[in-house]
Amino acid sequence: MFTAVGIPLEHVFILAGLLFLIGFTGVLVRRNVIFLLMSLEIMMNACGLAFVAAGARWAEADGQIMYMLVLSLAAAEVAVGLGLVLQLERRYRHLDIDAASELSG
Amino acid sequence: MPTESTALEFLWLVPALPLSGFLILLITEGRLGKLMVALVGAGSVGLAAGVALLAGMAFVERGGEPYVQTLWSWMDVGGFSASFTLYLDGLSLVMIGVITGVGSLIHLYATGYMAAEEGYSRFFAYMNLFVFAMLMLVLGDNLLVLYLGWEGVGLCSYLLIGFFHTEAENGYAARKAFVVTRVGDTAMALGLFLLFRELGSLEIQTVLVDAAVHWPDGSTLCTLIALLLLGGAVGKSAQVPLQTWLPDAMAGPTPVSALIHAATMVTAGVYLIARMHDLYLLSPTAQLAVAVVGLATLLIASFAALTQTDIKRILAYSTMSQIGYMFMALGVGAWSAAIFHLVTHAFFKALLFLAAGSVILAVHHEQNIFRMGGLWRKLPVPFWSMVVGAAALAALPLTSGFYSKDAILLTSWDYAYAGPWFWAFGALAAFITALYSARLIFVVFFGTQDTEPHDRSGLNMWGPLVVLGMLAVGGGWFGLALVADVLPDGGLAEEGHGGWLAWVTGAVPIAGAALGYLLFYRRKINLDRLVESKLGDALRRFWLGGWGFDALYDAVVVKPFVALAKANKSDVVDLLYQGLAALARGLNRTLSLTQTGRLRWYAANMAVGMVLVLLIVLGVV
Repeated sequence: MFTAVGIPLEHVFILAGLLFLIGFTGVLVRRNVIFLLMSLEIMMNACGLAFVAAGARWAEADGQIMYMLVLSLAAAEVAVGLGLVLQLERRYRHLDIDAASELSG
Repeated sequence: MPTESTALEFLWLVPALPLSGFLILLITEGRLGKLMVALVGAGSVGLAAGVALLAGMAFVERGGEPYVQTLWSWMDVGGFSASFTLYLDGLSLVMIGVITGVGSLIHLYATGYMAAEEGYSRFFAYMNLFVFAMLMLVLGDNLLVLYLGWEGVGLCSYLLIGFFHTEAENGYAARKAFVVTRVGDTAMALGLFLLFRELGSLEIQTVLVDAAVHWPDGSTLCTLIALLLLGGAVGKSAQVPLQTWLPDAMAGPTPVSALIHAATMVTAGVYLIARMHDLYLLSPTAQLAVAVVGLATLLIASFAALTQTDIKRILAYSTMSQIGYMFMALGVGAWSAAIFHLVTHAFFKALLFLAAGSVILAVHHEQNIFRMGGLWRKLPVPFWSMVVGAAALAALPLTSGFYSKDAILLTSWDYAYAGPWFWAFGALAAFITALYSARLIFVVFFGTQDTEPHDRSGLNMWGPLVVLGMLAVGGGWFGLALVADVLPDGGLAEEGHGGWLAWVTGAVPIAGAALGYLLFYRRKINLDRLVESKLGDALRRFWLGGWGFDALYDAVVVKPFVALAKANKSDVVDLLYQGLAALARGLNRTLSLTQTGRLRWYAANMAVGMVLVLLIVLGVV
């Protein structure tokens, strides 16, 4: 059975936090929808990492179950997200997310 | 007595006929030909007059017992019930006789007078509705039905004053009449509310009986109710201080002036007080108020009539003063004389107005008497009608007005509160009345002829003049025994005053007419210097304007009201709500700035919010 001997939980959390921040920064700064989706993917994987590490630390299955959930969520999100990307491309002929701001109040 | 009461059973037809005439004219909307309209309009009132005559004969045959005919129940709610019940006694019989009799003559006249006017059918529709409302007013057994008729005649008066609606002035006159009489009607409604609260009924006969039981002499509440009802009567009958609408009401067609603003509607106030006489007997204060109002109107209107130049305004002021006589008579306890004068006045004033209408029509709608002159040869029928009417108005001996006015003046002498003063001022007004009647005749029909008249009246116009002329002379010869059972004084005084008082009272009008003859026919006395003097001119203007009442009300009521309305034009009260709306709108605008539609902006906001929530949860902030 694999155990993360020698790697303290804090380090894994710092890594997960860094990954989350990188993904979030990507969401904020990128305007291309594809990159946006990729950044979201990174954020979700950061969450998954944190779940898995925590599950391993306390020897609970919950962490891994949550990771499965995150995975399927990501798959579903990509399915919807790619559909939106196609629509965006068809309507605007580009993938700039800022241009799609018709809902402004 | 089955055969005798059969005619009375058709009493409901009397108001129903004019109502159906109105409905027919209303539904056909002027699509009927003129002849048909005349037949329906004048015929319905004429038939009603016939039914009224038959009913009256049956009523007398029965021995003068009041006849009650319940048609249907109007409402029956929580202890209050009002029914459409017709009540025929001597007083209401006299009233329906005048309304349908004089009314049908005026309708007949109007078929000729209005022939050239637009809205022929509309005119007769309104007139029929008026006759119906007036009949409900006098036949109602219930004060609520009376009030219905009361407001109905007010509505018709408004519609008919503004009949020539294309001119703004007429609309103004109509609104003025409506608003001013509404002031009185409000007082009357309050009086009715109080009466119902105190006695729990609005049935006139019940109220009269209960009032005597409930209120001992001099009860304040009774006085208050009587005064409030007097307020309604004052408004409707154009008495001081609500008299200002009547001269302006002459904007309506002349038959309207004759029927509504002289013969019938304006006497509704007199009827109301005579009908509610027990209340006034219980409250001598209120009765004195009636007499004082009458006397004040009488004097004010007589002097105002003296200086008018418009033929219809002269007659309007004379109407006011004659109704003043009736009020004075009611006040001093000459109840029968008041109703007697109401009847004779209806005859001669309708005659005067219709004759004036013929003159006005003949001289191409000229109404200034100083532009007429010398018409007597050219217009014989209007001339003689006018002479007869003016003689009756002036109360020259043997005319109908003489008997009724004499009865009033002689009874007023015996009035407990300063009776001789009432007599003296009444006699003074009778003098002035004779003077301006003479002025009217001599200025209009004698002197130099200014305009070429074209007599366009046919049989339907001079026929009513002749009939009314005969009534104006002979209408007073037989007295008025019908009301003796109804009114508290038991009919006209039998012997009355002999001696000097009767002679003086009879001679005063002759003196007035003689002075008028000298002034306006012989021109023995030159008035020019008096008129041109500063005081004379000021007085003439003052009287011409009706004693400045219009200016007074304009300054005291109209101007402040208009100023208030102007101030409130921008809805001061609404400022608070407008402030609330502006606040909400401002907040909305600020918040909607955050709604950019940009996904990344939302994401950033969510992150910041999340961080803040975390910090708060962790207790850092």
